[in-house]
Amino acid sequence: MRRLLQIAAREYVAYVRTVGFWLSMLALPLGMALVMGASGYMEASAPPPAIVLIDQTPGQLYLKPVSEALTRRGKASGRPRHDLVAPPLALPDDPAAIGAALKPWLAGDSRLDNRRKLSAAFVIHGQGEAVSVDVWTENPLLGATEAVRTTIADRMERARLEAAGVSSDLLTAARALRPTVTDFSPKTSQKASLVNRLPGVIGFGAAMLLWSVIFTGAGILLNGVIEEKSSKVLEVLLSSATVPEILFGKILGVAGVTFTVLGVWGAVGGALLGVFAPAQAADVGRVLLGNGLVFYFAFYLVCGYLMYASVFTAIGSFCETTREAQTLLGPIMILLTIPVIFLSQALRRPDTPALEVLSWIPPFTPFMMTARAASNPPLWQVIGTGVIMLVTVALVMWIAGRAFRAGALSTGKVDFKGLVAKLRGGE
Amino acid sequence: MYAALELDRVTKRYGAVTAVDDLSFTARKGRILGFLGPNGAGKTSTLRMVLGLSAVSAGRIDVLGAPDGRSVRDRIGFLPEERGLYRRMTPVEAIVFLAGLKGVPAGEARRRARTMLEDQGLGEAQNRQIRQLSKGMAQKVQLIAAIVHRPELVILDEPFSGLDPVNQQTLETVIRDLAEGGATVVFSTHVMQHAERLCEHVVLLAKGRKAFDGGVAEARSSVPRALVLEGALEAGAAGALPGVASVASQPLEGGGWRHVCALRAGANGQEALKTAFAEGLDIQRFELREPTLHDAFIVLTGETPSPETAFTGEAAA
Repeated sequence: MRRLLQIAAREYVAYVRTVGFWLSMLALPLGMALVMGASGYMEASAPPPAIVLIDQTPGQLYLKPVSEALTRRGKASGRPRHDLVAPPLALPDDPAAIGAALKPWLAGDSRLDNRRKLSAAFVIHGQGEAVSVDVWTENPLLGATEAVRTTIADRMERARLEAAGVSSDLLTAARALRPTVTDFSPKTSQKASLVNRLPGVIGFGAAMLLWSVIFTGAGILLNGVIEEKSSKVLEVLLSSATVPEILFGKILGVAGVTFTVLGVWGAVGGALLGVFAPAQAADVGRVLLGNGLVFYFAFYLVCGYLMYASVFTAIGSFCETTREAQTLLGPIMILLTIPVIFLSQALRRPDTPALEVLSWIPPFTPFMMTARAASNPPLWQVIGTGVIMLVTVALVMWIAGRAFRAGALSTGKVDFKGLVAKLRGGE
Repeated sequence: MYAALELDRVTKRYGAVTAVDDLSFTARKGRILGFLGPNGAGKTSTLRMVLGLSAVSAGRIDVLGAPDGRSVRDRIGFLPEERGLYRRMTPVEAIVFLAGLKGVPAGEARRRARTMLEDQGLGEAQNRQIRQLSKGMAQKVQLIAAIVHRPELVILDEPFSGLDPVNQQTLETVIRDLAEGGATVVFSTHVMQHAERLCEHVVLLAKGRKAFDGGVAEARSSVPRALVLEGALEAGAAGALPGVASVASQPLEGGGWRHVCALRAGANGQEALKTAFAEGLDIQRFELREPTLHDAFIVLTGETPSPETAFTGEAAA
């Protein structure tokens, strides 16, 4: 145990003091801050798109409501989404010629005041129930277009109904009618809220977290062992410690590295959530601790990490270059992509039969059961998959130990057939 | 206990290939044993079995009273043939880490590491990363890492390979010091000069089988002495001299011949020289050559002899 911890400590320190570790530690928060800051800055600094609204219908029936609708769109965010401007020139009466007339402004060759570009021109023409809207733009403003369409449609509908004798007040009152819809949770027999969906979301998040831990942790292990193999350190280690001590020392050390990064991210995220959304933070805490989900997650996280990390470490012991490892890693990488495909399904329908079946296949068990744990799967499934998982992890670790010993002392390129032969021979 | 290491009819097979075949020898405590053999003779396979890095196919090993090195690894120091250390560690860090695995407390390991690095002239380099050191310096660091825990048995696999003559000399001194300090040293090599200078006891391995096991003098005695004659004399005349068993000849660049005459057991060469001069044979240069361990190695391992040692055919047989 002493040697195992010493090896783990060396692994941990070796990575923690690299620049790459700090870069990866800071990459996510910095990246998120950068993306959010950049988009916020762009939003704040860029003027709202300039739009020309032309109503050629008799009496300019739609000019006012459409203008109000476009203005309303920005009010929710506290910032105008569009800037309605007057046409930069006297426009022809023919709607089809308007686009050509505005082309220099729409293309950016000519500018509005303050050097602004004209983003779009909406031309409403026709009459009665034959109204058209021509949208001239090089950058389709889907939100604006939809607002224009809905507003005009509403006006046309109102005109038809009023013509049929429906009073404007009645129409307004009728439109205000809404049934009262209430979601109930069958588990609590109380009103369902977003909190009821939270376990599923957390399960999905935990499964993705497990996936990323395995992917990054196992990758670090693989590269570390390849480096040790190529620099001939492995044989020295083998003469100083047992194979399990080396194998699990490495796995433990790299787990420490991975969890340090995730712990820092989690702590920062939790702190931010606690400050800016304390109610949601409390809900997350209740779900994780109240349902015991955190213990399920911990179990599957440990099992999944041990299983894949053992395999990656053993493969690394046979390879002196990453290129050599790629041949042996192919099947493992395919296995690791399958859970990702099914995890989004688990979020929407955790009781899908396909997910239940996959839960019984050990390479997928940690991911699938983590995602399903929140939906309270049957206890016999939890116990059954858990036992199979434990047996599989023990078996994989035993085989990985043999492979690691054989790989560490092997020389030359090892293909899949050679790998199997060495495993059977034990060296 | 008399032996630090004992192998009894040990065999190692890799599938259909027998790397080590029925090998037995003993390394006495506090002595230096040279484990000699050409490349591919089975030396590394044997040492790996001793260390417990690979399993024995047949036979028995006794290492410091244990069936292999695994249960006594803290009492063994090992320098592998293909050497390497963590390149981003400093020498002190690497030595302290490996000493820690052998049970030496960190503080004590650090103190020993600094002292030993100073002794080896690496005081200036002790805080530089290993990747910044020269190959020779890195090899010294690795040697220190192998012995910093003061092992009872030191196993060095081809320790002299890659070292310049000065560092080879330094390493020989270290090995002698280890033995004088009571450690048993087993080192493998295919360069005989080191074994000749360091060992009383050598084991020669060829194609996985033991070719010789005994003292250096005894190994040398397996090869006859040789009388080297250079001049215009013919091979037949050289072969007819008293005490000469066989002759290997090669032409000299400036004309004439170089005859290497293998002497029969007990013959000292004086008689042959007297006769040659008495007969007026044309001899420009002569040399009475004592056999070296290198000669014995070539003969005993069945390596293809060089022209100089071609005469030893009868000894090899």
